[in-house]
Amino acid sequence: MVVNSILEISELSKSYDGKVKVLSDFNFNMEHGKICAIVGESGSGKSTLLRLIAGLERPEGGEIKIAQSIVSDNTKIVQPQLRNIGFVFQDFALFPHLTVEQNIAYGIKNNKSKIIDKLLKLVKMEGYNKSYPSQLSGGQEQRVALARTLAIEPKLLLLDEPFSSLDVGLRSILRKEIKGIVKKLNTSLIFITHDISDAIDIADEIIFLKNGKIVQHSPISELSKSSENEDISNIMSELKANMEGVLNLFQKPDESNVFKE
Amino acid sequence: MLNKLNRIRRDFNQWSLFTAAIGFFIAIPILTITVYLFDGVGDMWEHIVDYFLLEYLQNSIVLLIGTGILTTLLGTSSAWVISNYNFPLRSALKWLLFLPLAIPSYIVAYAYVGLLGNGGSLIGCLQTIGFSIQKIDFMNIYGLIWVLSFSLFPYVYASSLAMFSSIPRSIRESSEILGASNWRYLRSVAFPLASPAIISGLFLVFMEVLNDYGAAKYYGINTFTTGIFRTWTMLEDLQSAVYLSALLIVMVVIINTLLKWQRGSKSYAVKGSTDQLKSTDRIDLKGNKLLLVWIIVGIPILFGLLLPLGQLFYWATLTYKKTFNIELLQIAGQSFTIALVTTILIILTSLALIYFSRWNHLKSLHFFKKVATIGYVIPGAIIGIGVIRSGQSFITFFDDVFSLEIGFLFYSSSVVLIYAYVFRFLAVVFHPLEANSLKVGKNISEASYLLNAGKIKTLFNIELPLLRTALLTSGILVFIDVLKELPLTLILKPYNVQTLAVKAYEYADDERVAQAALPALMLIFTITIAMAFVSYLQKREKLNI
Repeated sequence: MVVNSILEISELSKSYDGKVKVLSDFNFNMEHGKICAIVGESGSGKSTLLRLIAGLERPEGGEIKIAQSIVSDNTKIVQPQLRNIGFVFQDFALFPHLTVEQNIAYGIKNNKSKIIDKLLKLVKMEGYNKSYPSQLSGGQEQRVALARTLAIEPKLLLLDEPFSSLDVGLRSILRKEIKGIVKKLNTSLIFITHDISDAIDIADEIIFLKNGKIVQHSPISELSKSSENEDISNIMSELKANMEGVLNLFQKPDESNVFKE
Repeated sequence: MLNKLNRIRRDFNQWSLFTAAIGFFIAIPILTITVYLFDGVGDMWEHIVDYFLLEYLQNSIVLLIGTGILTTLLGTSSAWVISNYNFPLRSALKWLLFLPLAIPSYIVAYAYVGLLGNGGSLIGCLQTIGFSIQKIDFMNIYGLIWVLSFSLFPYVYASSLAMFSSIPRSIRESSEILGASNWRYLRSVAFPLASPAIISGLFLVFMEVLNDYGAAKYYGINTFTTGIFRTWTMLEDLQSAVYLSALLIVMVVIINTLLKWQRGSKSYAVKGSTDQLKSTDRIDLKGNKLLLVWIIVGIPILFGLLLPLGQLFYWATLTYKKTFNIELLQIAGQSFTIALVTTILIILTSLALIYFSRWNHLKSLHFFKKVATIGYVIPGAIIGIGVIRSGQSFITFFDDVFSLEIGFLFYSSSVVLIYAYVFRFLAVVFHPLEANSLKVGKNISEASYLLNAGKIKTLFNIELPLLRTALLTSGILVFIDVLKELPLTLILKPYNVQTLAVKAYEYADDERVAQAALPALMLIFTITIAMAFVSYLQKREKLNI
């Protein structure tokens, strides 16, 4: 057991329709106050892992402990609303019929206006109280989603590809801001990313996932040694190839001309 | 094994129980029919097999084939013209093509007899312009095919219009650039793309044809549905009616299988929905082509809407002094009250079934959702027989075990009728609501759970507000269906309850068909207003998107 651990996962397994194994015999521990990045190919089980921790999926076997309390095993499942976990979805999942202020207030019980003002200031969204999600840009939506999640003072924060829909400039700014907020509030963070630079920039540790298993779990400072591992090299080159494919579409129009000699 | 049992125990919750209970309760009529099949055939079964069964089967098949061909022709041709061409009055005609759905088919059947029978209005007009025609014999199976087709083609029209209009402009332009004519584009691109939607519309037409009682009975055509009524009311053999119902269910299953086979695995997701046809992309028409297009959309509107409505108005002017009285207003009141109560119950049941089954973690229990929503593909007469059969068992059970007489609940209140409506029409609300709740996205609900909100708070604060338009739209559609329903109401309505649909039917059945016009027009007027409101809601929803 890790001293001061925020999350302990042992022998966790999950499959869909009893056939497709997404995670099998998964073990993982994380210390309080750390930031952990999860990297892996599509379908490697990253999102399922986050959903299992949050209680949005039910595992077939294994145990999950959050802050030393069992939240999921073969005999019981603690409801998501009782786990005190913050989750920011890839599409942010803001309530479209509620204003920014109402979205943030949704999970707060007392001192609503004071907390809303504090959080809006923290995520640099002052003055947007009465705006609806449809009136915000992608980056602004993400800030509001983060503020809404922080409002419940979660023990553990989970972010599912938080930067994927943002442009390069904005993602760099938001990365730094999120790291600052997590450290300031003394909480813990696990986030999924497809971009290794997200991990390098803000994570303390990194997990490489493949076919529902951890290929490597190491401090971010040891990332350079990871390239010796064949599986990790494959994951990295796939992620790189995906990125290059996208960039090629925009940057090298001439090469896409099939008639070019 | 032990692990699996532990997981089932872990995943079983109160919602699992509620899901199973609701599904089972709603499906009692159909389960009853299945159970009573093992009781053996009724006394009159041999007589039915010898003299009627073949006729029921032949007539039902001829009706299905005839209406299938005619509704496909009317529905797809008008949808194609409306979605691809610009012409004067296009918007008005687009809306008018939906309206035949507001007139129940049995009322169209009465109107046609008034138009084409001896001394009929249309015959009179033809005689005035020089035709020496006395009457057109319309009360036969071909007349019934005509009536049902012109009354039901909007199902095919609506589904193919939606599909034709959603084909992106780029697909048509690609076809043009590759040198295809307009006709070739229709034949080899648009029609194949729309065929799954056309088949879905056709399935609804077939279900309505098999459910029809009023028109077939009035024209003297023996079908399975009229046969079920005859066996139960005239031959007084409920057990044989159960057997006929089972055969009709087999027919529905065969039709469903054939249509699914025809559709195969085709389900085309057309990309680029933001690039759909705009008014400027439609072709402007002039001259002979304009005339042809007006004929294509004019024929269904004339024969499915204007002529029957004209006849009903004519009859109403002749009879309103006799028929417009306080009794008719009371009947209208009862009709609307029953339809409203049923609508509210159906909405509540649908919501309970959707969310309870979602909150339950045992996937095997989703089977109950399917069973509970099967009613829409089961003709009303069968549900009526199932409800009566199960009702009898309940009455006997309560009498034997608790010495309680609950017969009054079945015979002198609308409770049983409303219950049967809920089973019959649950799918009308359930499916669109479920689809819309999925469209809202489960992330939205999950975000709420993770913000410390429970299931009920999430339902009332997040999910229901986002489903408001879908709730209203599907509620109005089911309200219309309940108002129009005839066979189920005829079987199950208590003696002291009357509806507009039944009143119109009773007038026609008593050879006082002209007097049926006023209740029929009140029904049509209400349905038209409701349809206009649905159209307004859908338009508003589209603008919001």
